Amino acid sequence: MTKNAWAVSRRTFLASSGMATIAMALPAWANIPPTTREYRLVAKPGETRLVGDSHPPTAVWSYDGTVPGPEIRVRQGERLRVAVENRLAEETTVHWHGVRVPNAMDGVPHLTQKPIAPGDTFVYEFDLPDAGTYWYHPHQRSFEQIGRGLYGPLIVEERNPTSVDRDVTWVLDDWRLLPTAQISGDFGNMHDISHNGRVGNTVTVNGRLPDTFAVRAGERIRLRLINAANARIFGLEFKDHRPTVVSYDGQPVEPHEVAGPVVIGPAMRIDLVIDLVGNPGRRFRVTDTFYRSLEYRLLDLAYEGEPVRRGPAGPIARLDDNTMPEPNLADAERHEIAFGGGMMGSMRMAMMGGRQVDMREMMQSGMAWTINGVTATGHIHEPMLRLTRGRSYVLALANDTAWHHPVHLHGHSFRVVSRDGKPTRHREWQDTVLMAPKERAEIAFVADNPGDWMIHCHILEHQAGGMMGVVRVS
Amino acid sequence: MKVRKIAMITAAFAIIAGALIYGFWSPESADAKEAILYKNPQCDCCEGYAKYLRQNGFKVTVKATHDLSLIKREHGVSEAFEGCHTTLIDGYVVEGHVPLKTLNKLLAERPQIKGISLPGMPLGTPGMTGRKDGPFRIYEIKKGAPKVYAVE
Repeated sequence: MTKNAWAVSRRTFLASSGMATIAMALPAWANIPPTTREYRLVAKPGETRLVGDSHPPTAVWSYDGTVPGPEIRVRQGERLRVAVENRLAEETTVHWHGVRVPNAMDGVPHLTQKPIAPGDTFVYEFDLPDAGTYWYHPHQRSFEQIGRGLYGPLIVEERNPTSVDRDVTWVLDDWRLLPTAQISGDFGNMHDISHNGRVGNTVTVNGRLPDTFAVRAGERIRLRLINAANARIFGLEFKDHRPTVVSYDGQPVEPHEVAGPVVIGPAMRIDLVIDLVGNPGRRFRVTDTFYRSLEYRLLDLAYEGEPVRRGPAGPIARLDDNTMPEPNLADAERHEIAFGGGMMGSMRMAMMGGRQVDMREMMQSGMAWTINGVTATGHIHEPMLRLTRGRSYVLALANDTAWHHPVHLHGHSFRVVSRDGKPTRHREWQDTVLMAPKERAEIAFVADNPGDWMIHCHILEHQAGGMMGVVRVS
Repeated sequence: MKVRKIAMITAAFAIIAGALIYGFWSPESADAKEAILYKNPQCDCCEGYAKYLRQNGFKVTVKATHDLSLIKREHGVSEAFEGCHTTLIDGYVVEGHVPLKTLNKLLAERPQIKGISLPGMPLGTPGMTGRKDGPFRIYEIKKGAPKVYAVE
């Protein structure tokens, strides 16, 4: 009996394992052509009440008249087609930040496409292989176009979504407003370029100066943070709450709590799962403590209504992994990339337009930063690195400056494998790695996406000031 | 509540405007002249200049701000004449790492200008590292063509 049962169950096991192998190779959804989701975005000037009804509306540039632009929400495995119409008075493009798109869809003017002229429309179309929190924004004069409000969230839902009561997106941004509530026009000034970029004086969440965020007791929320600011780094503290990080830059990570504030650099995304453990009627501050002596209250979590549940919501599950290939570190080719320049730095000379110049001449040309000793004066330049498609690479990034740099690589996600020589605990996948002054970080990835890809600092004034380069995968 | 940040900005402008009114810092209380130094929150060399002023008898309040470029424009400092930090002393704006000799000359002569500037961050200036590699040209801040106020 026992023996027979074993025999049967073994046969059943073999049969089902064979099926499992087929299922893994050809999942059910692979046979169906992907659903294409269509959107239309119009980039145009508009007005929005950033600071509330007691002030005049603020003139902005926006997608479809709203800041942020419409949330594009699609399912992993689907295809996205977005027609972008340019009703601005200048050229633009759209970059799908963090999505591993084909090179021609990457939205980098002159490098991957002709910029969209005023009055013209360009259609972006690509598959979404990976779930996660992403965002879209221009790559043309981005220090002003993003700074004036052109950006929006792009959410790719998991096939097996994590169980939460609410899925919330906070697009964080800051603005340099004058007392009239209008945007100060001093984009690209040399002080911002040579220091820490254009950090504003008014912080918004989803395009409004926030006061409270309503929550219910016992609720479990997934909070998708997107930092759309030109230059501001946020360090968020949730009083008496313990947020759990479940993904960085859209890519799942082992759920963990962070010691200290949740630090999110420009262009980065962090997904948190937060259990709302307060009592009805209570308020809890969310503060941004990143810049010493300039800490401020972002908003209050305000407990309203009836509790959703009493007692704990159970363990937080890890999100399913995305599809990027695992780099083979034993066989990886290593390259060093040094980031230089800026105030309080040691850089004296750099290559600009093919010749050696000193810092003074650089500054007179509006430049202040370098990658591997070169300050990039435009979007087209020779690749600084040529990578072989399919190979594993380790890029050793060295911040040789006195300032923070969130370094973004297009077309790929990479594992952050070490910081200052020490292995990272979570080997997190990112597309934008924030380096503190003088910090070193090693990133590893498989160069599996052919084309010319930007690598640049996402403090947009640093990018405009020369901190960018091109990596060719072929 | 929603207006609090705008209110803060307005307040900052009000402070600046107040500081511009002569007599806000009375020249008679010259024993310990007050200075307000506006700086980028992440910049260290400005702290070096604050220390230099303190060592030379000034009472310095350091204010970190994200609005430095606005504050500079408000005080008539054009982009070409920017230093790093902006200091308000005795009714004048003092831009960048201006050495004490020229600062004292300004406060003694009291010319009809908005202030003075040592543009850029030249090596060897007070608060900066490195060795002086040329004369420091300190310019007048006023409307019209740039004019050298002093050379050190």
